[in-house]
Amino acid sequence: MKPIARPTGTVSEPAEATRAPRAFTPDRAEIVETVFEPEAEPDLVAPPPRRMGGFGKLLWTTGGILVSAALGLAADRLIRDLFATNEYLGILGLAVLGLFVLAVIALVAREIFALRRLRVLDSLKEEAARASIDNDRKRAGTVTDQLTTIYAGRADLARARETLTGHLPNLFDGTEVITLAERTLMAPLDACAKALTAASARRVALVTAVSPRALIDVAFVIYESVRLAGAIAALYGARPGFFGFWRLAGSVLAHLAVTGGLVLTDGIVEQLVGQGLAAKLSARLGEGVVNGLMTVRVGIAAMRVVRPLPFDTMPQPTVRDFIPELVKVTQDAAK
Amino acid sequence: MPNPPTTIADEFGIALANLADSATGLLTPTLRLGVTGLSRAGKTIFITALVHNLLTQGRLPGFAPLAEGRFIGARLAEYPDATIPRFAYEQHLASLTANPPTWPEGTRRISQLRIVLRFQSAKWWSGMRGPATLNLDIVDYPGEWLLDLPLLGLSFAEWSAEALDRAGQPGHAAEAEDFLRELEKTDATKPATDPDAERLALAFTTYLRRSREHGALSTLPPGRFLLPGDLEGSPALTFAPLPLAAARHGSLYAMLENRFEAYKDRVVRPFFRDHFARLDRQVVLVDTLRALNTGPAAVADLETALTSVLACFRQGEANPLLRPFSRRIDRILFAATKADHVHHTSHDRLEAILNRLVASASKRARFAGAEAESMAISGIRATSEGTIREGGQTLPTLIGTPLAGETLEGQTYDGKTEIALFPGDLPERPDSVFEDGTPVALNFLRFAPPQRLERIATGDIVLPHIRLDRALDYLIGDWMA
Repeated sequence: MKPIARPTGTVSEPAEATRAPRAFTPDRAEIVETVFEPEAEPDLVAPPPRRMGGFGKLLWTTGGILVSAALGLAADRLIRDLFATNEYLGILGLAVLGLFVLAVIALVAREIFALRRLRVLDSLKEEAARASIDNDRKRAGTVTDQLTTIYAGRADLARARETLTGHLPNLFDGTEVITLAERTLMAPLDACAKALTAASARRVALVTAVSPRALIDVAFVIYESVRLAGAIAALYGARPGFFGFWRLAGSVLAHLAVTGGLVLTDGIVEQLVGQGLAAKLSARLGEGVVNGLMTVRVGIAAMRVVRPLPFDTMPQPTVRDFIPELVKVTQDAAK
Repeated sequence: MPNPPTTIADEFGIALANLADSATGLLTPTLRLGVTGLSRAGKTIFITALVHNLLTQGRLPGFAPLAEGRFIGARLAEYPDATIPRFAYEQHLASLTANPPTWPEGTRRISQLRIVLRFQSAKWWSGMRGPATLNLDIVDYPGEWLLDLPLLGLSFAEWSAEALDRAGQPGHAAEAEDFLRELEKTDATKPATDPDAERLALAFTTYLRRSREHGALSTLPPGRFLLPGDLEGSPALTFAPLPLAAARHGSLYAMLENRFEAYKDRVVRPFFRDHFARLDRQVVLVDTLRALNTGPAAVADLETALTSVLACFRQGEANPLLRPFSRRIDRILFAATKADHVHHTSHDRLEAILNRLVASASKRARFAGAEAESMAISGIRATSEGTIREGGQTLPTLIGTPLAGETLEGQTYDGKTEIALFPGDLPERPDSVFEDGTPVALNFLRFAPPQRLERIATGDIVLPHIRLDRALDYLIGDWMA
């Protein structure tokens, strides 16, 4: 047999295989340049507060309108009724209503300011991290300016502020400025926050160790955690109001959830300490330590959320730092 | 380098000396910090400022032990080796604080100073023991002497060939003319006489001096000819390169060859063995601005000088097990001094130029396992900063008093008037400092020391500085961690 070849179809020629060089004017080109953002630490980024969906917004808006309409109507009717009863009573009622409205406005304003302070601290942290990474002196300068304004009213930081502002004209590196700010301004606050946390944890451990019912410890842990988070936020200059506090609590919880994995090693230590103690002393005392450590974690999370500078130079507090003291407290309680 | 600069006997001696150091340092660790730089780089100022700031615990916010409150204090102590001159800290400080203040005299020979630092460690196991002590030995030596270290590996004939070759280059013609004429008149094979040798050596020294003065910097060994220290006029410094000749016994050639060998054995090697090979940390100060003022040739010259100087360092990771016997420089800091002579917005560019100058040296250091960093610093800040608006643009300026005799645009300053100076922008691209025909001629005037110095509560003056604290933290901070 002879070899035969038959066409089976056309093979499309790979037109783009080798392309001839061509030159264009640069304005025709679409600039595609990768922007390298400085990588922020994973724990720096607190998860953003949850946004409501469309229906949620609609619900709250309409509900709000209805309630305010009802309230307005009720107030209007009340004043009318008062006037109908007695003119003086009506004037008095009107004055009281005016005062009430004023108080509401003041409260709302305070809440708004509190929320803004929280937001300022958040953005400060980001700015500081960026100034430190980029070694940007100007940006670092604005960060320290803001910090000194935030802490301007704090008598205990007078000396730290003085040191900071005294050194600033001689520093030319953003990184150095941020480091100095952290060392001078944050160090005393950190020490305070640690002391607050330790005290809270001690109380929780004691209460858990001696309380007769589990429900009481749970309630006490929650109460202490809330108080601790508020105190730490106030310490770093956030002074959260009611709504601000909810936002803070949300951030702290989110932070705890996010860093749950990161502090796993710490968690294991807690468990071991707790279990070991539980076996040695009694279940209640061991639980006391574990609950105390829970509070410690809340305290640390609150510190990380509200501290206006990231932990760069100063060591970040860890759960482990608090363990010896807690163990001692519970052991003393056992005696 | 054809031969390694040390012999086995040297190495043995170095190891023994290190062992002795370690034995005495068992209780109190000793850190030997070498400070070098070519002349007028700012070594004296750097050391004076560093010692003063440590002693008075002045303005060092970036020095971690002090910033963290762990630093207890410092005092000067007697240096254990009684034969080495002491760094004249008090005199230097006195001339800086005199009225009117003057810059202290520069380094002319090796000198040392021991400063004892008390601090508490932040590590829990060392912190438990309470305050610790660290002896910081500061070794100040002229960078020119380092140019000699490569000589250890050269023979007289090799060195002569190199030196004569350089003298014959067109760039050196003006300076070397006299020396070459002397050399032509001399017959190296005739019997040696001292006057002949002295005549040649004098001509050679004059050539070296001149080429340093004219070219701003010199890369010419032997360094002791420029800074003789206490050896001035001794036979070991009375030689000159000769063209290769049949070296009969008793001839001039033989005599100079002997002297060259003596110079190597008696001058260079002891310095290397006793001081240089036993450093833990090294600061290399570089006066980039002066070279930039002079022009591309000077910059290139500076680069060559730095590269050959830095090639001599014994650097590498410090091995904790071998540390009793061998010391290595495990951290090198390259510092562009006189950063106060440029506006702080230009410090980045100054650092970039410095990085370019020491690129090969720092690469070598990193390869050997040592850490290297570069910074723009100023031991004592002589200027303050301001801005001037002119022609619609804002110029960053320096405010200070130029030294008497400094000139700018035809005006000579008398050392008493304060001016605001815009010294010109440093080039954005560091490579361009090597190229001829840079568009803007830079002119960095030298400023007089600061006049009105602040005092701290204890009555000590505060010497303002730029990044001295960071330099200090980099150099000794980890030993005080």
